[in-house]
Amino acid sequence: MRGISKAFPGVRALDRVSLTVQAGEVHFLLGQNGAGKSTLIRILCGAHHPDEGEILLDGVSARLRSPADARRLGIAVIFQEFSLVPYLDVAQNIFLGREPSGRLPGTIDTRKMHADARRLLDTLGLRLDTRVLAHQLGIAQQQVVEIAKALSQDARILVMDEPTAALSDHEIERLFARVRALKAAGVAVIYISHRLQEIAAIGDRVTVLRDGRNVASLDAADATVGELVQLMLGRAVETTYRSRFCERPGAVMLAVNDLSADNGMRAATLSVRAGEVVGLAGLVGSGRSELARAIFGADRVVRGTVLFEGRPLAGGPVRAVRAGVGLVPENRKAEGLALSRSVQDNMLLAGLKRLFPSGWYRGASAVRLVDNVIARLRVATPSRERPVRFLSGGNQQKVVVGKWFVAGSRFFIVDEPTRGIDVGAKAEIYRLIEQLVADGAAVLMISSELAEVVAVCDRAYVMRDKTIVGELVRAELTESRILTLAMHHA
Amino acid sequence: MRSIPGIGYLLIALVLVFTAFGSGFATVTNGFNIGVQSSVLLLLALPMTLVIMSEGLDLSMGAVLSLAGVVLATLLMNGRSLPAASVAAIAVGALFGFANGLLVVGLGIPPFVATLGTLGIAQGLALVITGGQSVVGVGDALPALYESRPLGLPFSIVIALAAFLVFRFTFRHTPFGAYVSAIGGNRESLVLAGVKANRYHVGIYVLAGVMAGVAALLLTGRMSSGHPTAAIGMEFDAIAAVIVGGTSFERGKGSLGGTVIGVLTIGVLKNGLNVLEVPSSLQVASIGVLTIVALVIESILEPAARRLWRSA
Amino acid sequence: MKRLVFRLAAIATIGAALSVTTESFLTLTNLLNVLRQASLTFLIASGLTFTVLTAGLDLSVGANVGLSACLAGTVMQSTGSVALGAATGLVFGAGIGILNGLMVTLLRLPPFIATYGMLWTLNGVTYWFMGGDTIHGFPAGFRALGSGYWLGVPVPIYLMAALLFAGVVFTRYTTHGHEVFAIGANREAARLSGVPIRARLNLVYVLSGAMAGLAAIVYLARLNSAEADIGEPLTLPAIAAVLIGGTSLFGGVGSLLGTLIGALTLTLVVNGMNLLAIDASWQPLVTGVIVILAVWIDVMTRRRAEATI
Repeated sequence: MRGISKAFPGVRALDRVSLTVQAGEVHFLLGQNGAGKSTLIRILCGAHHPDEGEILLDGVSARLRSPADARRLGIAVIFQEFSLVPYLDVAQNIFLGREPSGRLPGTIDTRKMHADARRLLDTLGLRLDTRVLAHQLGIAQQQVVEIAKALSQDARILVMDEPTAALSDHEIERLFARVRALKAAGVAVIYISHRLQEIAAIGDRVTVLRDGRNVASLDAADATVGELVQLMLGRAVETTYRSRFCERPGAVMLAVNDLSADNGMRAATLSVRAGEVVGLAGLVGSGRSELARAIFGADRVVRGTVLFEGRPLAGGPVRAVRAGVGLVPENRKAEGLALSRSVQDNMLLAGLKRLFPSGWYRGASAVRLVDNVIARLRVATPSRERPVRFLSGGNQQKVVVGKWFVAGSRFFIVDEPTRGIDVGAKAEIYRLIEQLVADGAAVLMISSELAEVVAVCDRAYVMRDKTIVGELVRAELTESRILTLAMHHA
Repeated sequence: MRSIPGIGYLLIALVLVFTAFGSGFATVTNGFNIGVQSSVLLLLALPMTLVIMSEGLDLSMGAVLSLAGVVLATLLMNGRSLPAASVAAIAVGALFGFANGLLVVGLGIPPFVATLGTLGIAQGLALVITGGQSVVGVGDALPALYESRPLGLPFSIVIALAAFLVFRFTFRHTPFGAYVSAIGGNRESLVLAGVKANRYHVGIYVLAGVMAGVAALLLTGRMSSGHPTAAIGMEFDAIAAVIVGGTSFERGKGSLGGTVIGVLTIGVLKNGLNVLEVPSSLQVASIGVLTIVALVIESILEPAARRLWRSA
Repeated sequence: MKRLVFRLAAIATIGAALSVTTESFLTLTNLLNVLRQASLTFLIASGLTFTVLTAGLDLSVGANVGLSACLAGTVMQSTGSVALGAATGLVFGAGIGILNGLMVTLLRLPPFIATYGMLWTLNGVTYWFMGGDTIHGFPAGFRALGSGYWLGVPVPIYLMAALLFAGVVFTRYTTHGHEVFAIGANREAARLSGVPIRARLNLVYVLSGAMAGLAAIVYLARLNSAEADIGEPLTLPAIAAVLIGGTSLFGGVGSLLGTLIGALTLTLVVNGMNLLAIDASWQPLVTGVIVILAVWIDVMTRRRAEATI
């Protein structure tokens, strides 16, 4: 791939990025969240079109207008969400759309299909009855079926996105063996992973992206963990986000002890005091949103306790909201706002019970309150009746925060508060957070932007593999320490 | 698509209960009775299985069946030959099936509303054509065919059996079965695999319409007349049979064999209740309850499977 | 607002067309009749509207009306008390609503399947209960509820107005009403905002059932008789009214006023067909076509809205 650029509304995802991969090579693609890895991969598999640049296969320029084109040219991608059909068996899944023909026109040669499937799985070292339905397989097995599917399409380039995220050590070893077999067969593997130690195990070359640009391409043998971390981070960003940090935090507002939930996160223990902004850092998939949802009650807690202002917090979002906790979700459009409803309706939703305990909605006082909050948060909207879907990302986020203002929350869990927001609006969000804690509230902030965590938070917990692995107080809070904790695999 | 779990036992349980409490239930004649009465339902339930597997629903089948029957009877009454009239009836079914497919796949209208609308249209047409009356005088050809006994079995059972075999063969030995499951289970996968999913999706509804037309042949033959409301509500029995048979509303889970058992279960239930002299109106109510029970069992068993899937 | 104006224009157009093509349309008797019939449809459709607002549906309303009416009528005749009969109908209708609500919230069944199963169950029970008999002959005072006039206006219209008023109060001036809209617009966002989802869903299904019970009483009064099949032709027009009125099947958008206009529009069309001596058998067909058209517009509107996100 040469000189690939791609821009989305408001954001330049890729800026003349190049990637060169040889046959039979395992090439690691590294970078922080938002560095551009997934965009590059999507362009490679035909899901997006680059604004400029070209893709060359064996030196020949390739036009990828659709995923089907990419497939035909031998490019296969295995995403984290698998593409198997749950109630079809292994062989059917592998050969979906390309079933071998039987004797009568239109029929399938089922025996051949299963035999071919079994042969593919044997190549990959998996002994499995090909008549098992996909939904009955374990994750590791599903992954092998996905690989088999790619191989059956004579894939010459295989992209694997976080393949080891959900595997046990033993299964990881087996995956590595398969990858080595693929290498030997001349397949080029592009491997995206945050586990730097895997580079030493199976990597041949490494390319690092940062902020949508190439930073370096080097041989795996020459790369050390420390060096790679440095490359991924780049220069520290100059801007100071926060003018004053919390010198004397108040009482403990939130105390979480050994919390495990049915969404996969486990054994989390943390506390947040009034006046603090506490960060929750880690890489994608480390379990931060899961922890937030567990605290808020959006997902079911299976173990441990959550104490808010000394009292147990349990029973779902209804109780959490009444107690004074607010959640600004990661996906604000899908989970934080009703896009078809007005700014006013969205802002009042969480506070309805508090403002109108009798159930009678008094329009006049509602309007006054909403106007007040709109002014305070500087939400740019022509009117409070405007449907939220027409607001910019930054203003939408302000509406979500405003919602919790109105609800009288004293504790705010914010999940990626500045994602997809321009610089100007970001600064306003930080100012907002500072204002909140100055008034005695507390904030638990999830962020993948290390610079943001360091500049805004009083201290931070770091998560990895669905549990908390460390806490960094103010003095220790640096980007490289966060990243090391987030990636280091003991 | 594999084995049949608890519903087989439900069927056996019902058979045992009715044998014990109903005199005259467990005879060969009655067995054939159940088979004959269930055959029309099977013709509807087979394509309904595919529709539900694809995350859809077809509420218009009963009305389309009635309409096809009315068309058939009217043509026969006017002296047309049986083959010609049969083709016309099936064509009517196919037309409505195609309309359903267009509405659901082409326009993106939720299936239950789309087929509710076509239900009204088919029903309306049937009423207009007949003025609300039965169409008699269908001649002798059709009833004779219905009464015939090819291979020593009642005609309707033979047709139902043949339909089942054809469906099963197509489902297992052509890609069609896999595609139907994929449309319900992971439609995007199918599209990404380069398959023209829309075509198959519409085809499912067309098939339902065609089978409604075939069922009209049987029903009109049995009643020796066509009536505009002859089959109203049969789609409900078909849906119940499919659900009881273990096919689910999402994720593409389904089994034709299970549907057969579901149809037999309903047939046994109705017949047994008849033998026990329970009024037919309560029979309808009991099928409603049965469906809800089957759905509840399904929703209890499903989350266990879903957790395994979601951890991917 | 724009949408309502558009719909009112549609009514005006139909009305104008009918006044020109028939003699008897623009008479007071006829217009009052149209209003009366529309009120009856509106009674059923009003409760249904609330369920659709939450992106759900209550397909059992017609059958509910049927069985409630038969029960109410039976109680009235056997006890001689109109009040008792009316109470029975109302309570039973609401009770069915509670069952529907529980199926949706506790058993987590998709609403259209749950209420579809309920529809057939109620149908069956109604036929069993009535056994082919007809009940008729109710006291004149009671009949006035459905067939009578007060101050020159048919009584059901007052009910319709009262219901509309109550409905508007509910949707605009209670927190529960706002939460219902929010649930339909984005259920997960509402849940994460602390809205008690299950409680509100139960509420809308109970309302739907209760309205069906109320409608049953009024139908009983109007028809002065009850038999097993009175509920059957009622479901499709009710759904049509809701859809024509602009309430979206996908939830979060709609109004009771819209449903009222929808009921009026539908009744006008049927009235027109009657006056033009078109066979009554055409009515289900026309209703079916209207439903499909209305849904299609709904789908198109939603797609256009989503494209701007």
